[in-house]
This record gives sequence, C-alpha cells and structure tokens, in this order.
Amino acid sequence: MYGKGLKPLSIATVVALAAGLSLVFFYAPNDADQGFIQKIFYLHVPLAMVSLVGFIVGGVFAILHLRSGDRRWDAYSYVSIHMSVIFGVGVLITGSIWAKASWGHWWVWEEPTLVSYLIVFLLYATYYPFRYAIEDRDRQARYASVFAITAGSFVPLNFIAVRLSESLVHPRVFATTNGGLPASMMFTFLVCLTAMALLWVTLVKFELTAKSASGQVKRLRRALDAPPAGPRSRIAPEVS
Amino acid sequence: MSLLPLGTPALPLDEAGKYVAGAYIVFVLLLVIYVSIMAIKLQRIEKELRELATFAEQGPSGTPERGAAQSSPGPPERGAEQGSPGTPGRGAEDVPVDSKTQPAGGSDRNLVPSEATAGPSAEIRGSSDV
Amino acid sequence: MTPSRVAFRAILEKDLRTELRTLQSLPAMALFAVTTFVIFRFGLDRTQLSGSLASGVLWATLLFAAILGINRLFVAERHEGGFDAIRLAPIDRTALFAAKAAALIVYLAVLEAIVVPVFAIFFLDSAAAIPPLAAILLLADIGLAATGTLIASMAVNSRARDLLGPLVLLPLVVPLMIAATGASRHLLEAGGPGYERFGTWLAVLGLYDLIFLLVGYAVFDFLLED
Repeated sequence: MYGKGLKPLSIATVVALAAGLSLVFFYAPNDADQGFIQKIFYLHVPLAMVSLVGFIVGGVFAILHLRSGDRRWDAYSYVSIHMSVIFGVGVLITGSIWAKASWGHWWVWEEPTLVSYLIVFLLYATYYPFRYAIEDRDRQARYASVFAITAGSFVPLNFIAVRLSESLVHPRVFATTNGGLPASMMFTFLVCLTAMALLWVTLVKFELTAKSASGQVKRLRRALDAPPAGPRSRIAPEVS
Repeated sequence: MSLLPLGTPALPLDEAGKYVAGAYIVFVLLLVIYVSIMAIKLQRIEKELRELATFAEQGPSGTPERGAAQSSPGPPERGAEQGSPGTPGRGAEDVPVDSKTQPAGGSDRNLVPSEATAGPSAEIRGSSDV
Repeated sequence: MTPSRVAFRAILEKDLRTELRTLQSLPAMALFAVTTFVIFRFGLDRTQLSGSLASGVLWATLLFAAILGINRLFVAERHEGGFDAIRLAPIDRTALFAAKAAALIVYLAVLEAIVVPVFAIFFLDSAAAIPPLAAILLLADIGLAATGTLIASMAVNSRARDLLGPLVLLPLVVPLMIAATGASRHLLEAGGPGYERFGTWLAVLGLYDLIFLLVGYAVFDFLLED
C-alpha cells in the first residue's frame, strides 16, 4: 500500500515548509554582502541538495532492482529520478535568478556548483529519451537501472572535476554558501533543507500511490475482461 | 572560506525584492503545476473506475451484480482461467509464469505483483456496494 | 588460461582483425578529425593555436571522432548474433566488456597517433608538447573506452541507436574533458609546455577511469541478460 503514511507525511511537509518560510523572512538576518537577495539561498540550495541526494537514491534503488529482479525497485528508481529532475528545473531557474540578481547576468560560468549541476541535469534529462528508445519493457527496466547507477556514480566525480576547473582566485558568486554562516542563518537553512527533503519524499510517495492506483485499475480491467482503455505510457514503469 | 567582498549587489534593494519574490514564486508555480498534473491523472483514474464499476455491475452480457464476484477468484489463477480469448491482446501479455523472476503468481510480466494478494478480492467486492 | 581470458583474447583479436581487414571505422574517424581541424581553422579565423584554444580544438575534435567509432562498436555483434553467443558461452560475460573496451582503446590510440601529429603540423609551433600529451591521451582513452563501451552496448539495442549513444555519452564525458583540456591547455602554451596542476588533472583522469571501469565491470552482466 503506497498511500499509507501519506497523510502524516504531507502534514509534516506543510508544517516544515511554513516554518521554513517564516524563518526565512522574519528571523534570518540579511546578509552583509548580498543583502536581501541572499534569501534565495534558502530556496535554491536545499532544492539542489535534495535533488542530488534524490539522484543517488535513484541509483541505489536501481542497484536493488538489478540484484532482486523485482520491478517495484525500478518504479521507485524512476520516480526518484523523475522527481529530482523536476526539482532540478527549480534549481536551475532559481540559480539563474540568483545569478541575475547578484551578478547581473542570467547565467554565470564562474559558479562551479551551478555549472556542475547543469551537467548533472543534462545527463539525467537524457534518461527519458533513453528509456523511450528501448521497447522491450523488461530490458528497458534493466538498462534504465544501469543508467541510474552510472549516472549516480557520475555525480560526485562531476562536482570534483568542475570545482577543480575553477580558477582559485576568481570570487565565487554564491560566496555565502560556504562556512561562516551565523547560527541563525544555519538554523533557518537546516529547517528549509528538512522541509525540502520532506517535500521530495511526500511527492515521490504521492506519485507512487497514483501509479499504484493506475496499476490496480488495469488489474481490475483485466480481471473483469473489460475492453482496454487508452494508450499506455511507453516509459513510466507500472506499479500495482 | 570567509565571505568574499562582492561590493554592493548588482541591483538596488527594491529591485532585489522582485528577484527574491520571483524565485519563490517559481518554486510555488512548479509545485502547483505538478499538483495539477497529478489532479488530471486522478480524474482519469476516477473515470476509469466508474466505468469499470458500471461494467462490473452490468457485465458484458448484461448479467447484473454477478460479474464482480465471479471475476476475482484466487489471484494466481485469475489471468489464466478467466475467459481469455475474448479480450484482444491478452494473449501477448500472458507470459508463462517465470518462477525465477516472479515472486508471487501473476501472468503479466508488466505488472509487479502487489503485496496483499488477498486484499484486492475483498476490496473489489466491497466497492461494488458503493 | 581461464575460459574468460581465452574469450577476451578471441573477441579482441576478432575485432582488431576485422577492422584491419575492412577498415570501416578508423579511416573515417581520422578523416573526420582532419576535416574538422580545417573547419576550426576557418571558424576561429586562426592559423596558429596555443593554450586553451588549442586544447579545446584538439579535444573537441577527438571526442566527436571517437563518438563516430563508439557508435559502430557493437553493430556487428548485434547483427551477427554476437550477444547471443556470449550469453550461451559458459564464461564471465564481462569478457565482452573488457574486450570491446580494449579494442576501443586501440582504435583511439591509432586515431590519435594519426591525428595529433596532423594537429601539430597544422596549428602548433613545436612538437615539444606531444610526449606529455601522450600520457593525458592514454588516460583519457581508457575513460572514453569504459564509458563508451557501456553506453554503446545499451544504445545498440535501442531504436534511435545513432542518436542515443552520443546523447547519453556526452554529458558523461564532461569531467573527462574538463581534466584533459585542463592539463592540455598548459602543455600547449605558446612558450613551451607548462605543467601547472598536471598532477591534479592526471589524478582526476585516473579517478574517472577507475570509477567507470568498475561500474562497467559491475553492471555489464545485467545488460546481457535476456
């Protein structure tokens, strides 16, 4: 039963998000250098961290899928990656807004974490055409798991490489994100991070429940020998 | 790493408010778009369930009520014994049970067998009372 | 020799012999690279290259030429039942992965042996950078071979196989390119090879090679399951 626990989870997410938002705007002090603009940090960075962890979690589910052959893990892997890609869109847009606000350009190549993230995002964006191109569902699930594992291993390596490529003297755009965060900011950040993590888990569970419901409808349809319904998705793994 | 002096932000402070608001609005928008897409999916599921309930009550040959109880016997046999020839495409989907990869019964390889195999029968019977 | 080693050698020799006899990939890859150099000469409006521009042109060209070769890597296996043969044989299936990756390294090495001197003749002042460059080329070849073999083996079984391979491969090799160009841009400096952060980049290349060889080794079995 995928829907079990969805209610308390959603409530916790709402509470955490509300708490986080209030802290951001009523408690956390303005940054000395970036001023009010720095508030985007509490949105952008948690989104980024949660989605990166989500990609790795997708890779872990993929390992479980390959080892057990149980297609349920493939569904978990797909939904984890799917949700992380959606969060990723948010990361790139908020990152771009932050860059424009503090640096004047909609994109800055000098910010290594943003650039690394773009590369990771581009890689995971190929997950969908990749799945789509493999017709046999069984093979599709296996290959997708291989992709998820390869891409998951890629994430840390990519961050290392991009970080190293940056000239050490060029000032970072998002300089406040490293060390020196006063306690009030750190607390606010942690609450926001928790809220984003809860949001991710809630939405993943939500999506799995919806897939499960769809799957049960198909089972029912088959059991009743009812005529088949509309077109099925070529790539989204089925859950029941 | 200490805060590097970036000088004044590129924009005056009242402009900055717009960008911060923009970022948070983007986040909310993404969330709302996601929820709407899921709502559409939910609508579709509801519609299909309604169709199936009607279908189950009337049956393909018009026998009321009995269709629901009859079409869900013990789970492993369900696929193999129900009038398979009638439904197009089922032949292609009914793959012989491969005990290596299928933990429980189930003749369709695209479906992952769910944990509660006894549950659905009771649930189907229950829902026909609605 | 264990059966897997025998299989490894057999597959590798078969691939190399086929390529030698039919010459279907290498000349095309080399020709593509040289023509691309000409395009760059006009596109950038330069007759001499050095530093980051030189390393960028060299590595971008090598990468795209390599992709041409990677696309073709498993085509014969698919058409002539090579995959089935491996599945039936009582050996470790990663022998196929190892053999194909080794073959790809050989192709890339031969490609570079032809193309890099041409590059030097076209755009460089002196050939002093070439020996240290060879080390970078070797490490990059290993990484490209590991990732390329893995992706190609999946792409060949898909519908849009010519498109899918490069599509998925390109983001994956970005760290490799970052490291390779990072080291090359100092080697190709106008005043003679510089070795700034050479060790760092070699380490990154080595790490990349290690990770993707391990990943390929670990998952290849699952790719061949029927």
